[in-house]
Amino acid sequence: MEYVNPLTGFRLDGRRPNEMRQIRGEIGVVAKADGSALFEMGNTKVIAAVYGPREVQNKGQQMDGQALVRCEYSMANFSTGDRARKSKGDRRSTEISLVIRQTMEASILTHLMPRSQIDIFLQVLQADGGTRSACINAATLALADAGIPMRDLVTSCSAGYLCSTPLLDLNYVEDSAGGPDVTVGTLVKMDKVTLLQMDAKLPIEMFTDVLQLAIEGCKAIANYIQEVLLENTKKLECMRGS
Amino acid sequence: MVGLSAGERQFIYGGIAQDLRSDGRQRLQFRPISVQTGVIPQANGSARATLGATDVIASIKAELGKPAPLRPDKGKVSIFIDCSPTAAPVFEVGAGIDLSSLIVVEGKVCWDLYIDGLVISSDGNLLDALAAAIKAALSNTGIPKVSVSVGASGEDQPEVDVSDEEFMQFDTSGVPVVVTLTKVGRHYIVDATLEEESQMSSAVSVSVNRHGRVCGLIKRGGTGLDPSVVLDMVSVAKHASETLIAVLDSEIASAEAIDDDDAI
Amino acid sequence: MMRELHVSLNQTQKVRLQAAFQHLSDIGSQASSGLLVSVSDTIPVNNEDGILKGHGTSERDGQVVATVCGVVERVNKLVYVRALRARYKPEVGDIIVGRVIEIAPKRWKLEINFSQDAVLMLQSMNLPDGIQRRRTAVDELNMRTIFEENDVICAEVRGFQHDGSLHLQARSQKYGKLERGQLLRVPAYLVKRRKQHFHDLEQYGVDLILGCNGFIWVGEHVVPADNEMVEDQESTLKDKEQSYTPLEIRQNICRIANSVRLISALGFAISVDAIIDTAEASKSSNVDIKDMLGAEFYVQTAEREVQKRISLLKKKRG
Repeated sequence: MEYVNPLTGFRLDGRRPNEMRQIRGEIGVVAKADGSALFEMGNTKVIAAVYGPREVQNKGQQMDGQALVRCEYSMANFSTGDRARKSKGDRRSTEISLVIRQTMEASILTHLMPRSQIDIFLQVLQADGGTRSACINAATLALADAGIPMRDLVTSCSAGYLCSTPLLDLNYVEDSAGGPDVTVGTLVKMDKVTLLQMDAKLPIEMFTDVLQLAIEGCKAIANYIQEVLLENTKKLECMRGS
Repeated sequence: MVGLSAGERQFIYGGIAQDLRSDGRQRLQFRPISVQTGVIPQANGSARATLGATDVIASIKAELGKPAPLRPDKGKVSIFIDCSPTAAPVFEVGAGIDLSSLIVVEGKVCWDLYIDGLVISSDGNLLDALAAAIKAALSNTGIPKVSVSVGASGEDQPEVDVSDEEFMQFDTSGVPVVVTLTKVGRHYIVDATLEEESQMSSAVSVSVNRHGRVCGLIKRGGTGLDPSVVLDMVSVAKHASETLIAVLDSEIASAEAIDDDDAI
Repeated sequence: MMRELHVSLNQTQKVRLQAAFQHLSDIGSQASSGLLVSVSDTIPVNNEDGILKGHGTSERDGQVVATVCGVVERVNKLVYVRALRARYKPEVGDIIVGRVIEIAPKRWKLEINFSQDAVLMLQSMNLPDGIQRRRTAVDELNMRTIFEENDVICAEVRGFQHDGSLHLQARSQKYGKLERGQLLRVPAYLVKRRKQHFHDLEQYGVDLILGCNGFIWVGEHVVPADNEMVEDQESTLKDKEQSYTPLEIRQNICRIANSVRLISALGFAISVDAIIDTAEASKSSNVDIKDMLGAEFYVQTAEREVQKRISLLKKKRG
């Protein structure tokens, strides 16, 4: 299958190779959470809800020097194209939960909230490739909304390599083509990569290009998230009045 | 779990007895309900319903399948309710859809309708909210038109061609709403909040359609109810359903209008 | 913005609300000069020496950066970010409302919207008999007669202990158990610290307590007891019904409570004046208590706030 049109250079969904899908973030979508956000990347749509920092529920897990961060990822039954009943806590969700938790933990200033617990719940409403990235971006918005101090904004984006072209932000069709899919999470201003995952093989010189492309994607998302947060902060402050 | 002090419990009981609940509602008044349709574009139909801080999403997906041998002229409907990790567990509901409209080729091909409910945030009365969301989602649902190739006959599975452009709309006038009456003290209330639900002795959920017919009934909670009280509750629920259906209809209509605007 | 409250607005209401919000945003940017930052933004300090980095800030490559979203505040050399939406940040002397979660040896643990449960020691509160004395083992056994699990109580922040736990105290008549009313939760940043957090709204017969932690109590007015232990009596259902809050006072409680819900949903600062003002406005325009949470009054309240802030701004300038 031709994922990139050799004549026009466009992808199946009409994007250029280095073009991201439409992204959208919205803050405050879950009523009772301390912080929450919706994040969309094209047709991929996820909700993140953050509870805490609050008293640790299982006293055995309490840490004197830092906060305990927990993360739970789940997919709605209707989130995928062909509807399949998934059991909660399957291996894929467990793995993604762990990956997201570690990525977010790298940014949260956990030592400022000792002996407390922060829960991040992620709910995929629609999956069309890049759910991991969308979840991380949603979690960043939700954590900021909950007023939890962070070193830097963590953002994530994926990139792949199909038809001898590095492609930014793969959708489901491109993702299932079997080519390499590099998911990158970065602390943007600190210029640090905190998450890097790739399955399938890729020559090392190509990998550099693909990685660079994904990092560029992360930067673009960070700029957008920054705008959303600033807009939201302005709204909160203006509404509150003096 | 909501923990309430003795003083707060007494206040809730008193409010229900005096017909003035904590947020100013009377016993048989609902919280404002709002509906948004087309929230899951990948599904055949979808809707999000909020009732106070209770927030649920319903999605409808249609897939071609084989009818059950015992009912060759009917399609199938299955309902799954799932809770986002944020909320508490719920139970399953039954709906009133004309199953005959889901048949494509008798005995061979039918539409399997999968209805999924997802609770995003819970502040009581999940069942009513889910039923409202499902009703809205169904009216938002388009089932692709199917043409069957004529040649197929006998034992072969007929070949079908699913249209991308033409859709048939559902008749949702028969889909019921659910009204849950929660008994607190000696009185019962509709649309209980989480705090009020924590004080319930028992609850009766009645699903009622537009014609005032009762389509289903569940009684929950540990305490027993006098049969005459149950009958009384059913007739009250039927009465309350009229207002609910009216509000819901207008909400669905305006949500659909907005949805259409966005599409253009 | 409308987290707890989803109102369905019609077309005109939508336009009116949008206009009101636009006004508030314009007034807001005129009135405040504070710099708004979001996470990871650099805070300009003009290379000043000896800058002290306070809450919500950190250092990166020699520059001061924000770790939360909020407003940059300067007090002499100290730079900090005042966060908006966040859990409660306790300060000594704050008046808070909380719920008892657990009874542990010589202490109660309370949920107060902080990152941990707060601790109220038995010795940090006056005993029911009002006598100053050492707490005995008997007192310890009787702790449940003072506060039991799930009780809502009002107390004052005493401070942090060496082990990092937050301690409360309740050594005054005004502190203690709250009954006959409802507890509301609002974001803590909407409640400002003031001289007065207890309000006896005489005209309504209602007690209103605005906890700095965002827990707000609206209940029937109680006369402070004179250190008399109320004798425990086995109450029958009939007694209970007779002791229900009188309807008129209940109406006031619900009206005040809905004012709080509405102001909080709109994201306006919560003060006793704003609450009474909203309640009175609803009364004078004959809005039913439950309709205070409906679309029309929602929009009206936003519009009234615009007028209020415009006249406030004029006063300041004029």
